[in-house]
Amino acid sequence: MVKQEKEFVNRPDNTAFTQQRLPAWQPMLSAGIIIPGFVLIGLAFIGIGVALFVTSQSIQVLEVDYTGVEQSSPCFKCSDPDVKNCVCKMEFNIDSLFKGPVFFYYGLSNYFQNYRGYGVSKDPNQLSGDLDSFKVPSDSCAPYEYVGKTPIVPCGSVANSMFNDSFKLYQIVSGAKIQVTLDGKGIAWWTDYNVKYRNPSVTPLKNAFNGTVKPTFWSKPAYELDPTDPANNGFINQDFLVWMRRAALPNFRKLYRRITEGDYAKGLPAGNYSLEIAYNYPVLSFDGRKKVVLSNVSWMGGKNEFLGIAYLVIGSMCVVMSIVMLIVYAKFKFPEEE
Amino acid sequence: MAMEIFESGLSWEVRANSRHYHKHKQKKSFLCFHWGRYADNVVHSYKYSPLTFLPLTLFEQFQRVANLYFLLMLVMQCIPAISSVPWYITIIPLVTVLSVRGLKDLVNDMARRRSDFEVNSRPCDILVSQSFDSAQWKDLCVGDVLRIHKDQVIPADLLLLCSSEPHSLCYVETADIDGETNLKYRQALSATHTQLTSQPSDETLAAFDGLLLCEEPNNSLYTFRGELHWQGECHPLDHAHVLLRGTVLRNTAFAYGVAIYTGADTKILRNSGKQRVKTTQVEKVFNRVVIGIVLSVLLVALLHAILSGVFSSQVMGNADISSTVVVNANPVYTGFLTFWSYIILLSPAMPIALYISFELIHTVHSQFIGWDMEMYWQPAGRPAQARNTSLNEELGQVGYLLSDKTGTLTQNRLVLRQCCIAGEIYGDASVRAEDVEPMDLSWNPFSCGGLHMSAPSLVEKLRGQQCPPSRQFLTALSLCHTVVTEWKEEALFYQSASPDEETLVGAARELGWVFLSRARDFISVSELGVTRQYQLLALLDFTSKRRRMSVLVREPEGGLKLYCKGADIVILERLHKDLQYQERTERALELFSQACLRTLCVAVRSVPEASWEQWRKTLAQSAAMATCDRDALLEKLYDQMERELQLLGVTAIEDRLQEGVPETIALLQQAGLKVWVLTGDKKETAVNIGYSCKLLDPDTRLLEWQELRQILQAPDPGVSFFKARQMELWAVDKKMAGAKTAVVLTGPELAEFDQRPEWGSTFMSLAEHCQSVLCCRVTPGQKADIVKLVRKHTSSVTMAIGDGANDVNMIKTAHVGVGMAGVEGGQAVQNADFALSQFRFLQRLLLIHGRWSYRRISLFLRYFLFKTCGFALVHIWFGFFNGFSALSMYETWFIALYTVLYSSFPVMCLGFFEKDVSAESSLSWPELYKSGQRQELSSPLILALSLLYAVYSSLVLFFIPFGVFYDTALDYQTMAFTVAMAATFTATIEIMLLTRNWTKINIAAVCVSVVLFFIGTGITHSTVLFKKAPADYIFIGVLAKAFVDPVVWLTALLTAWTAVLPSFTAHAVNITLTVHDKQKVHSISPQPVELKSTFRRGTSLRRSPNALF
Repeated sequence: MVKQEKEFVNRPDNTAFTQQRLPAWQPMLSAGIIIPGFVLIGLAFIGIGVALFVTSQSIQVLEVDYTGVEQSSPCFKCSDPDVKNCVCKMEFNIDSLFKGPVFFYYGLSNYFQNYRGYGVSKDPNQLSGDLDSFKVPSDSCAPYEYVGKTPIVPCGSVANSMFNDSFKLYQIVSGAKIQVTLDGKGIAWWTDYNVKYRNPSVTPLKNAFNGTVKPTFWSKPAYELDPTDPANNGFINQDFLVWMRRAALPNFRKLYRRITEGDYAKGLPAGNYSLEIAYNYPVLSFDGRKKVVLSNVSWMGGKNEFLGIAYLVIGSMCVVMSIVMLIVYAKFKFPEEE
Repeated sequence: MAMEIFESGLSWEVRANSRHYHKHKQKKSFLCFHWGRYADNVVHSYKYSPLTFLPLTLFEQFQRVANLYFLLMLVMQCIPAISSVPWYITIIPLVTVLSVRGLKDLVNDMARRRSDFEVNSRPCDILVSQSFDSAQWKDLCVGDVLRIHKDQVIPADLLLLCSSEPHSLCYVETADIDGETNLKYRQALSATHTQLTSQPSDETLAAFDGLLLCEEPNNSLYTFRGELHWQGECHPLDHAHVLLRGTVLRNTAFAYGVAIYTGADTKILRNSGKQRVKTTQVEKVFNRVVIGIVLSVLLVALLHAILSGVFSSQVMGNADISSTVVVNANPVYTGFLTFWSYIILLSPAMPIALYISFELIHTVHSQFIGWDMEMYWQPAGRPAQARNTSLNEELGQVGYLLSDKTGTLTQNRLVLRQCCIAGEIYGDASVRAEDVEPMDLSWNPFSCGGLHMSAPSLVEKLRGQQCPPSRQFLTALSLCHTVVTEWKEEALFYQSASPDEETLVGAARELGWVFLSRARDFISVSELGVTRQYQLLALLDFTSKRRRMSVLVREPEGGLKLYCKGADIVILERLHKDLQYQERTERALELFSQACLRTLCVAVRSVPEASWEQWRKTLAQSAAMATCDRDALLEKLYDQMERELQLLGVTAIEDRLQEGVPETIALLQQAGLKVWVLTGDKKETAVNIGYSCKLLDPDTRLLEWQELRQILQAPDPGVSFFKARQMELWAVDKKMAGAKTAVVLTGPELAEFDQRPEWGSTFMSLAEHCQSVLCCRVTPGQKADIVKLVRKHTSSVTMAIGDGANDVNMIKTAHVGVGMAGVEGGQAVQNADFALSQFRFLQRLLLIHGRWSYRRISLFLRYFLFKTCGFALVHIWFGFFNGFSALSMYETWFIALYTVLYSSFPVMCLGFFEKDVSAESSLSWPELYKSGQRQELSSPLILALSLLYAVYSSLVLFFIPFGVFYDTALDYQTMAFTVAMAATFTATIEIMLLTRNWTKINIAAVCVSVVLFFIGTGITHSTVLFKKAPADYIFIGVLAKAFVDPVVWLTALLTAWTAVLPSFTAHAVNITLTVHDKQKVHSISPQPVELKSTFRRGTSLRRSPNALF
């Protein structure tokens, strides 16, 4: 036995790994599998596409552009940046019941909230309630860091440019205006509201902001953003949180309110409506547009025709390609068999 | 004196026994300053000390352009104004790469350090004031006198002063230097021998005060020049007086020597030069692609920088709410910063992890070669070896195999099969060597078997004392050689540098003429039991130019005899005029050569005493002359002596083909390889071997120089070539005729190519149409020249295979060099990239390991390119929609972890385990190999297509999510996660499409990658980490939110599917349309390669007497 071992000096190990004989599965694809497979995938995509498209079609959307570019627009008078505290009214009409719950968005276009320098311009430590950062904001906030030598809180471009138009919606029933209740609770992300943004643990909140100034663009300091609800102030103000969550692309919407309470929770009945806008936010300087969007939602969220159509296109492409393949295959194959 | 030294070039001065003189001048160094002359005897092959490891390894690693590039990125990322992604994103992959590599180097260095220590502390005996003290190698100094024991390794290059053996002979084994295991003898000067051994040696040695003048240290192992000035006399020295470091003293009780060169000055250490770094074709193409990528990144960054400037100048002026868009209110400056930001952002397109993964895959592939049981040569206990671990994929692309003949195609295990004495032929070559009936040699006490020749009539004649020529023939065989004897366990062993000599002396022993021992001046031979001592007067040694050797001996009876053996042409022209058996011998030579036997002529001459005396005087005079003229003069002198010979007979030695050679060559030719044979042998022998190993078919037409020359000189060589072929009657089918032509060239004819460089390309284009090319009588330099010729005029990969020192040159020149670990020395293996034990293992090395490696590495590179570029180029498209601000499309952590964790394991598995067809099928369908030769998987076009595909997928990865997210309430972070998920899915689906061979590890790797993506993302999106560092983990909660959003999932799914659709379609079309080679392989059961051994030799060959050596 010893002698035999000696005979095989340096002999490599005979294992499946070293001999490259690991058991393996080699899928043997043939035209008989690949073409039906292709068809099946295509059909599945078409199925998803149809479902998405149908769902998307069932979603009602109403968009009202209130930038006031045209002179005929009621908001034209407000579009001049020199006019302060301007209020304008947009009238619109709903033909059939707008099923609830209705979501109320504001939308901006040609607005680069995803500009890198803009997005970086904030102080995460400050926003998570660190009082040291109140006194010395991070350099990244420049140029909205200090006014004179007083630190800005919340500092930075993003906070500074917070959207500050506000809306009221009325239904006009035989001349009388009935206000539609807009619910502003829970429109921000749970983690933003509970973890990411924290007010400093100082009561009253106002004291924490001693020795700081409000952002230059703001009309009210952070601790007075919502006079109606003391809990909805500071960095955990819902509108502030929604604004701070940056948009992906230059055309975007942000959730403003939901209509989930009161008489209109089931939807907006057909009729005339009036939208009262406190017009503050200047967008014409960079050729931007502002709009209000009313929409209801489905399992897939808001209306999104693109996804359904894309699924349909890709699915159909697969099916067409598999048919072409089948024809070519038949042409190539059968002469051979003769 | 100084003038004299300058003239002779002997400027290395050594004084024996004067330690402090040399110690004073010892080499020392501090930082990068060196001074002193003599190296100490300490080997210092390790590079790092604990202090220098970090700086040195970093310095080495940053010499790689890729690493430097990423270091640059890292530095740039630390500049806040331009850092589009934080610095820690690059440092993770960079540190991973650096530490893996550094660790590997450290482990290697530790091993070197251990072996250095072991070598430096070996014991040796140094003479210190009158007596020998035991010391260690590292204590040795130039000029020290040493005592070497039997079987001890010699610690430095020594001048042999004397030894315990008569005439101060000593034997050394040089296996460590040149791999030759036979013993060689060295001899001390007679002056030192007589003086130093006359009295008790310790004191006389201590008193030895010779001054040695030698040449400067160099790397030439077989030359040495020097002089010993001692006791007022000057003795010239050559390499026979020198014991080299690394050799082992054998058969000698003691040897004394003085150290000439120590440590780094010794010949063996001077020889351990660096090997030329070879890079593979695939790597070259890929490097070009990487440079292309870097340039495109720069271009895109520039474009975006300009656009960014334009964008910001438009926004400027009305910057009431978005004033951060313009930095310092200067669009040009903004553009400038954006340029660098984009370079950083797009840098992942240049794959940092690629080179380390590449190296890892190469290493594993090399291991697979060593682990292959079927390439393990059991009789020698030697597995195959990949000495160069970076050439594996080149094995799958070889177009030209240039092979040595002796020892590579043949076994180089020589057997005397026939001989012809006095016109009488003994033995029968038509019987296989194993089947020869052994003769009854019990009368011979020295017989130990191994004679494969049956000639009872010869034995009868010899024992019956009937035939003087046959007795003389055997005497010649037992005297005329340089064999050394060794007694091991009561048995006589012969050791020789030439296997031919060993065979002949062994055969003579079997037949009763036993060579017993060799002393300085005597050779003892037992002739049929009678021991006779021949005085050795002169040894006219063998050179490849002379192609013969002779010994001049004085017989015990007093007569002077010259015995000579050599190549037939050389001997036949030196014969005495009236020859008895000339015609019969020549017919025997023809017969032998037709049976593929190596032939040697043996002759004798009786030398008159008077002419010997005169010759001796002339010899002594010329030996004392200056070196340069001496050689020519000696040759002339030898020539005078080797004249008027009397032919005794011819020996015919069989050098048998290695097992499986014809099968292997047939298989390789089917695989599209051109097999050329380059040999130092005669044309006839080479051609015969060509037939017997199926390199040439029986009906192959041989194109020889005369004809080839006419074709090459013709204005239109191609046409003449075809004409020449058509003239042949048998060439019915033109196409067949092309394949069935072989070119036969010889060395002198090849030399003409030097004068006509324009022939090279013409010749190569002709050779392309030929079945094979045989080059005979070529020198080692010419072998390399042929390789260069092929490399220059074709784009194919060349592989050279050989076993001897004469093949080293061509092995080094070829793209891939293979050394045969065979009977000849280990030099070929030392210089080779791969070492094999048998020629037939080439089948597996090329068709299985090479093919797999090529496929794996090509797929690996293509996929790597796809996954990194497809992933990084998304930023270009995103730039158009974020004001060219270099905002990252991904979470920064994802960028760092994508290459390291989320997409690396499956592709490594692909690199390790992928195979499209099994090993058996690879061998039974050699045609599959051709895809590698045509670079089907790694051509620049294919890589460009992969890049294009990557660009396409980056477009898809951006624009489908763009369509979905446009004008919606979904935010940037959700989009970033969606694109990241789509990118991971794309990379995963693509690798699943590429993988054909699913082992459990592959499946696990794919699953682990996807799971890791979700786990890793979950961790970086977690609350815990956010609370630790709010600025670094801003994506908190995104996974939780996006995970339950059907839009995110549906978008990622659609994006991934669309991104891989071209690849998927290509696969499907491929499967549908082509009844592929590989599928044939699976559908048809493998057939063994058919083998016939029909020999038919060309009629143009008259005879093929064959030269030795």
